[in-house]
Amino acid sequence: MSRFVVRRIVEILVVLAVMSLVIYALIGLMPGDPVDLMIASNPHLTVADAARLKALYGLDKPLLERYAAWLGAALHGDFGYSRLYARSTLAVLIPRLGNTALLMGMSFALTLALAWPLGLLAARRPGSWFDGVANLSSFATISVPSFWLALMLILVFAVQLGWLPPGGAATIGAGGVADRADHLVLPVITLTLVNFGPQLRYMRAAMMETLHQDYIRTARAKGAGEARILTRHALRNALIPLITVVALSFGSLFSGALVTETMFAYPGMGKLIYDAVLGNDYNLALAGLLFATLMTLLANFAADLAYAAADPRIAYR
Amino acid sequence: MRRVLVVLLCLLVPAAAYAAERADELSIGISQFPATLNPLINPMVAKSYVLGLVRRPLTTYDADWKLVCMLCETLPSFANGLAQKIALPDGKTGVRLTYTLKADARWDDGTPVTGDDAVFSWQVGRNPQTGVAEAELYRRMIDVKAIDARTFTVTLDRLTFDYAALNDFEILPARIERAAFAQPAEYRIRSRYDTDPTVRGLYDGPYRITEVAPGSHIVLERNPAWGGRRPYFRRIVVWSVENTAALEANLLAGGLDMVAGELGLPLDEALAFAQRHRGAFNIIYKPGLNYEHIDLNLDDPVLADLRVRQALLYAIDRGAIGQELFAGRDPVANSFVPPLDWVYTADVPRYPYDPAKARALLDAAGWHAKGTAVRRNAAGRRLVLTLATTSGNRSRELVEEVLQSQWRDVGIAVRLKNQPARVLFGDSMIKRRFRMAMFAWSAAPEDVPRSELRSDEIPSPANNWSGENFVGWRNAEADQLLDAIETELDRAKRAVLWHRLEALYAAQLPALPLYFRADAFILPKWLAGVTPTGHEYPSTFWVEQWHAVGRGAQARAQ
Amino acid sequence: MSALAQPRVRFGGSVLLALALAVVLTPWIAQALGAHADTVDLYHRFAAPSLRHPLGTDELGRDLLLRLLAGGQVSLLVGITAALAAAVLGTAIGLVAGYFGGRLDALLMRLTDGVIALPLLPLLVVLAAADLHKLGVPAALRDSEAMSLYRIIVLVTLVGWTTVARLVRGTTLSLRQQDFVRAAEALGASHRRIMLVHILPNLATPIIVATSLAVGEIILLESVLSFLGLGVAPPLASWGNMLTGAEETIALAPMLAVYPGALIFLTVMACNLLGDGLQQALDPRRRR
Repeated sequence: MSRFVVRRIVEILVVLAVMSLVIYALIGLMPGDPVDLMIASNPHLTVADAARLKALYGLDKPLLERYAAWLGAALHGDFGYSRLYARSTLAVLIPRLGNTALLMGMSFALTLALAWPLGLLAARRPGSWFDGVANLSSFATISVPSFWLALMLILVFAVQLGWLPPGGAATIGAGGVADRADHLVLPVITLTLVNFGPQLRYMRAAMMETLHQDYIRTARAKGAGEARILTRHALRNALIPLITVVALSFGSLFSGALVTETMFAYPGMGKLIYDAVLGNDYNLALAGLLFATLMTLLANFAADLAYAAADPRIAYR
Repeated sequence: MRRVLVVLLCLLVPAAAYAAERADELSIGISQFPATLNPLINPMVAKSYVLGLVRRPLTTYDADWKLVCMLCETLPSFANGLAQKIALPDGKTGVRLTYTLKADARWDDGTPVTGDDAVFSWQVGRNPQTGVAEAELYRRMIDVKAIDARTFTVTLDRLTFDYAALNDFEILPARIERAAFAQPAEYRIRSRYDTDPTVRGLYDGPYRITEVAPGSHIVLERNPAWGGRRPYFRRIVVWSVENTAALEANLLAGGLDMVAGELGLPLDEALAFAQRHRGAFNIIYKPGLNYEHIDLNLDDPVLADLRVRQALLYAIDRGAIGQELFAGRDPVANSFVPPLDWVYTADVPRYPYDPAKARALLDAAGWHAKGTAVRRNAAGRRLVLTLATTSGNRSRELVEEVLQSQWRDVGIAVRLKNQPARVLFGDSMIKRRFRMAMFAWSAAPEDVPRSELRSDEIPSPANNWSGENFVGWRNAEADQLLDAIETELDRAKRAVLWHRLEALYAAQLPALPLYFRADAFILPKWLAGVTPTGHEYPSTFWVEQWHAVGRGAQARAQ
Repeated sequence: MSALAQPRVRFGGSVLLALALAVVLTPWIAQALGAHADTVDLYHRFAAPSLRHPLGTDELGRDLLLRLLAGGQVSLLVGITAALAAAVLGTAIGLVAGYFGGRLDALLMRLTDGVIALPLLPLLVVLAAADLHKLGVPAALRDSEAMSLYRIIVLVTLVGWTTVARLVRGTTLSLRQQDFVRAAEALGASHRRIMLVHILPNLATPIIVATSLAVGEIILLESVLSFLGLGVAPPLASWGNMLTGAEETIALAPMLAVYPGALIFLTVMACNLLGDGLQQALDPRRRR
């Protein structure tokens, strides 16, 4: 087991290193650079000013040289200076990380609390009207464009009914937990609905698979109660494949968070990355993307461990 | 899902919509957070707006577009002897200016602003390593000397009519900033304005910054050392709200009292807001110096023909665009000089909407139409042009689509090719890889468009792509006029030169003038004294004139 | 059992057919209304539905129905083209992985899982902002009005192939063990020949199913990127970019925001139902 853990950690580090180079190169492909942006916003800047500033910011060096310098600093915990926010990248990132974790955590818990029981019940009687409704609702939430869903929620609950704020993380001048919660309602609902469909389908498929296994028939033959069969026998076994799928869905959860945060102007990681890319804030975009990748890799790693713990037949060496 | 929603809604007690109102507090919404608070680095509107509350420039243009002293006692002039012509070693004529700082000009730690501060600021500004974005002014200042505690002289390397305007000379507190400047290359990171913005001694305006919540808000309180008129509001909080829907919601909920015009709602959204909440706010529309126009690349064989350029302008209905899209708040431009500027003249060639005239001009230029199709010339080439603008700018994209439709009516096919601002300005314009490009100039009052219009300012490999005469206008008379205007000290004579330049521009059309963009200031009914300037210097320079009138009564009535 | 007996296939198929028909008939509808999708009418902005404008007009006085149809052309074109490209790419990867197995299979499947697991949207946002000049795309292509179309197709293809690859690999793995493949091997057929002649024709079912599911996914991806201003660029209309300005006009003209999104929803739903129905109808293992 410990050898497995070490191997996976090494793997994660390798993937992270490769991704950092890929992302660094990708960001190098973005048009212009911070100084070009400054020129755009200030007509008084001359070309000579631009050349001087580029040299000052180290933008005139080749890509690999800049990457090596960046990596060296990053390994010492220095992810550089965010141009858009004029402070160290980590200082910008960490509070945002908390906001995103709050949004994603709440929404993920809510998603599972809704989708899994429904999926389980739907799998019990495939083809029933309940299964039909569950299936249709999962298809609907898979098919809805997340940004449009957010737009419609804003239209109904913020613009027309005026019940909830259309965006932001807190009311100016109000403060307090209730106010924070108010601002979380629409983003959480959006993100929950978008992830609801896939989770329901995963659960339904996994349960259908296990409900046809011999041991379930055995349990039935032995006269075990239906509830007991579902929860004790079928669910436990269905959870094993589910863990993997859930871990794999982490990346799409983050993608959903980017859209949701952008729509609701919620100060999280997703919006930060989007703003950083549009604002040519190289350091910030890079660190944000790397953090998102790291979070995904860690989620997968955690799933592997959970997988091993859940299924005694699997022994990692 | 309905059930979940209801449960969630019940769980959350709606927040108190109205924060406890304090009569002597003001909260202002702007749409961007300043990336830095250092006056010299990375100029941006958000920063100049906030710094306008806490710092005072040496000189500035006021709301009547007159040059005035803010930190200095008297504007130097040849009449009062504070300005003197001097002969420079290279044979040119320069000018030496003497400024005396006001006796009550003090930093917020109580120490006076001194001539030494001015010398230090000049050293920081002219050092190529400090990361000062706009170095032109500091290059012109060839010497700054402290005469006594309050007096210093500035020597400029040329004599222009606006010699006394040192609006962008940012005076820094030498005592505090000198340590950060010890290593000039590190200055932009170590400046106390960014590392420790609430430290006493950085601000010489009516307010001082007492709290900075990055990305969210900046709190300002009265500067006890301020020697000028005592400002009405005890506390001002400037909130950055990037999402315009959230900006509006906070305004309605009372979290924000006002939205800045310099950096708030785009005009079209402000108009929509005004329509929905008629009467709840004072909304001031101030047309400004943002000159929206379409640069035409004169080296393009099609656009080199003046008749084609005139036809392009006759074919578009600028009046209707301004009226329908911007509720008539954006005045139509006839040249690059806005009606508010004292050098403006209405006596220039004009191009009212006249599709018939446009068609006739195109026929005369050899572009013939058959039915409704795109025009062709004798060689069979189709009259196809491309128009670029900054992508993501909603107003411009809308206007662009209107223009495309109107040009199609006279047989000109225009393809739209929008680019992010950084590509358009950072590459396409500088390298002159465009045919038509829509964007705006923003400038100071009576700003001489030398680098935009003079023939030696055309970017090319030979001059290392410097200059902003992107259109490639080569007009000997315009060159002479630009030179003459810069050095003509007599106002009446200068006005004549300006009027000739405007008429020449409108006759030759190196660019298609569209309109001057207006800013929308959304103010509460009880706030008085806010005067939009219409130029690049913010209304916050006069914050001590802002005050509340009958605020409590208004709040109760709502 | 015919696939058409499946109610999902019937529903999804007919919705898609109806949309395709409407899009194809656009020129005639435009003629009947006497308007053009790009014709601006500043004096009739935000007009209410009328005989002349069945769905009203947008913020520039353009006919909304015609705009929606023009947007549909682009959205469907991008969706179908990119799905086909993704199907080709995914089939190639899945086939090679399933046929050769071993380390190559492990590597390719690791890659597939990696692409699925990554936070794709943030990466796509960076890719979509890439400077074509720096990538060495020729100027003539870069400046063409349809460049944003090509770019978005390439982008979504790059991430849309995974569904096809996994399904194809699974089927290939089981086909590999079948007698007719072993017989061909024994007769000395080359790997290429076995893959292309013996296995590929048997992959039709998973490819069709996965492609119809991918179309929906790809249309969603296109719409969100276009909405964020990184996909299909104006003046080309797509359902996604028609919503870009909707946030600002939503209080004045909510229907401008409702229609394009509803059409995306309907199309993607139809694709998903079609794909799922086909899977159930064509795949005997899943029929229960």
